[in-house]
Amino acid sequence: MGQLLVIAFRNLVQHSRRTLLLGGAILGVTALLVLLVGLLNGIRSTMLESATTLMSGHVNVGGFYKVTAGQSAPVVTHYRELERLVRENVPEMDYLTQRGRGWAKVVSETGSIQSGVSGIDVRKEAGFRKVIQIQEGSLDALAEPGTILIFDEQAKRLGVRAGDQLTLSAYTLRGVANTLDVRVVAVAKNIGLLSSFNTFVPEVTLRTLYQLNDDSTGFVLVYLKDPKQVPVVQERLRRVLGEAGNLLMEPDPRAFWFKFQDVNREGWTGQKLDVTTWEDEISFIQWSITAITWLSYTLVGILLVIIAVGLMNTLWISIRERTREIGTLRAIGMQRERVLAMFLVESFLLSAAAAVAGVVVGLALCAALNAAHIHAPAALQLFLMREELHLLVRPSAIFGSLALILGCTTLIAVLPSFLAARMQPVTAMHRVG
Amino acid sequence: MRSPFTFGWVLLLASTVAPATQAKPLNDAQLSDVVHTIDDRQRNSGDYRSLAYLETKEKDKTDTAREAIVYRRSEDEKLMILFTKPKGEAGKGYLRLDKNLWSYDPTTGKWDRRTERERIAGTDSRRADFDESRLQEEYDARFVEESKLGVFDTWVLDLKVKPGVDVAYPVVKLWVDQATGNVLKRQEFALSGRLMRTLYYPSWKKLYSESKKGDVWYPGEIRIYDEVEKANSTIVVLKSVDLRPLETNIFTKAWLESKSR
Repeated sequence: MGQLLVIAFRNLVQHSRRTLLLGGAILGVTALLVLLVGLLNGIRSTMLESATTLMSGHVNVGGFYKVTAGQSAPVVTHYRELERLVRENVPEMDYLTQRGRGWAKVVSETGSIQSGVSGIDVRKEAGFRKVIQIQEGSLDALAEPGTILIFDEQAKRLGVRAGDQLTLSAYTLRGVANTLDVRVVAVAKNIGLLSSFNTFVPEVTLRTLYQLNDDSTGFVLVYLKDPKQVPVVQERLRRVLGEAGNLLMEPDPRAFWFKFQDVNREGWTGQKLDVTTWEDEISFIQWSITAITWLSYTLVGILLVIIAVGLMNTLWISIRERTREIGTLRAIGMQRERVLAMFLVESFLLSAAAAVAGVVVGLALCAALNAAHIHAPAALQLFLMREELHLLVRPSAIFGSLALILGCTTLIAVLPSFLAARMQPVTAMHRVG
Repeated sequence: MRSPFTFGWVLLLASTVAPATQAKPLNDAQLSDVVHTIDDRQRNSGDYRSLAYLETKEKDKTDTAREAIVYRRSEDEKLMILFTKPKGEAGKGYLRLDKNLWSYDPTTGKWDRRTERERIAGTDSRRADFDESRLQEEYDARFVEESKLGVFDTWVLDLKVKPGVDVAYPVVKLWVDQATGNVLKRQEFALSGRLMRTLYYPSWKKLYSESKKGDVWYPGEIRIYDEVEKANSTIVVLKSVDLRPLETNIFTKAWLESKSR
């Protein structure tokens, strides 16, 4: 084996131009792969963090309450009992919280917008502070009743700043018009799609607007220590809540506001619970992740094909150039398997060196891009729910990229190497040029 | 036939609201009579059909105009609004069946259950603006004062929703013309006490109803002003009112769907 390695190494050095060209291509593809994987992981992780902080828990217990068949509200009654059931049955839980959900007209002196209104207890939500970047005002002030946090984009549309007054206008659970004057205490930086259609008020303020009692909320957000446990916990919660006598909605992997029409069409009244995951709640932007993933795979696929053709071509040239050498080696007793192994080792050595270098370059590029705090394009911000691009490269992704590149290049090298090994020594030695 | 008032009506007013015309507050019985009269005069006890023109003005948006036909049946409190113009809205409609308000969109062919308090076709009007008046059933009235509304002498009434009744606006303030008993102005307040809508009724018309064996009064025009978003307003003009019996099967989903085919 050592001999083969030496031969392969010497051969690579001898044909330095060819080696550099092909090695450079493999390096480039590997670096690009690492970059793409980093970008995808970064987008996914940013979306998960933003979504699970701003819109959803890892698992949510929500639902609808209908006073009449045609009037549904995203309200959960007796939520403390639900919290108790969750605590008892989800040992995987990290922590839980609850939030109110509403939809109101937000009116200023100069304009108005329709927006979702989330009722939160900002003191209990540590994660919220990590994701929300305050541009003007103070997040702590959101603990006071009669206050509101809006986003920069909304502030511009409404023509307001921190300290200004807004009016929330909505219909209560029983369909009675109600309004509430609130003071803008914080204007946050835009966080993509969410900046257009969500605002945050203290939960007590939302309760006042919707005339809800203390034991009603919008949904219970359950955060797990390991988000991979989401499907198991979701299934278990559905079973436990059902056994506790709650009526459950059919599983429907969509955000809660997409379900209004279906719920209103159904004839039932009272409470029905819905157990959803973070992926369900942001399903309306999941397609973008899928699209980016497929686009990246296609791009990497095309690059791999180019590399495959290049590598195969190079090996063909190498074999052609070394036909007499192969004949001589075979004539002095080298077995076919050894010839095959010699060419495979050569291509593996080239690929391994180039791929490792590619990973290093890819990682360096990721680090450089993160350090540059690049502003994501507006379209991407919509889905990222953050202004900055963040690339995340995990060890598993590095090894995955390496394995993919090495696997592909070695596989490609098998056919030319096999054909080289099959040559008759006499034929090979007679080959001219 | 459509004159705003008749000799009989003047006589009725003279007998029932005489104390008020002498600048005295209404007592409970008189107050109840006034509210009852408002409801009763608009009630048909039969079928109703009218053309409705809705013109909406919204801030930073182009003005829109719609035409619809309103169908009502007093017997079982049925109501249907079928939009006929503009072309994009034609075939859309609302149908009130058994206390449920359904909306139909012919482009999707779907029926959606809506709240009774929902804005009609995105305008400032509500279902109740096209329906029969049910003030006495829904509200407790209180006399506030006598006041002048332009050239009209009016009674100002405060109406508060009765316990257990669901209405969009729990407090309503009415300006009732002392001379005719017609509502001239209506203000609707949210639970918080904030003024939400102001409605003006500049013209009232009447029509003899065979089913009621008496006159039915209806507003020829309603001017609705959004008081939360001050720039928004809607004018509803009601025309071609017909009180003859409608087809029996008219208040069905199938009938409304057939109109868009």
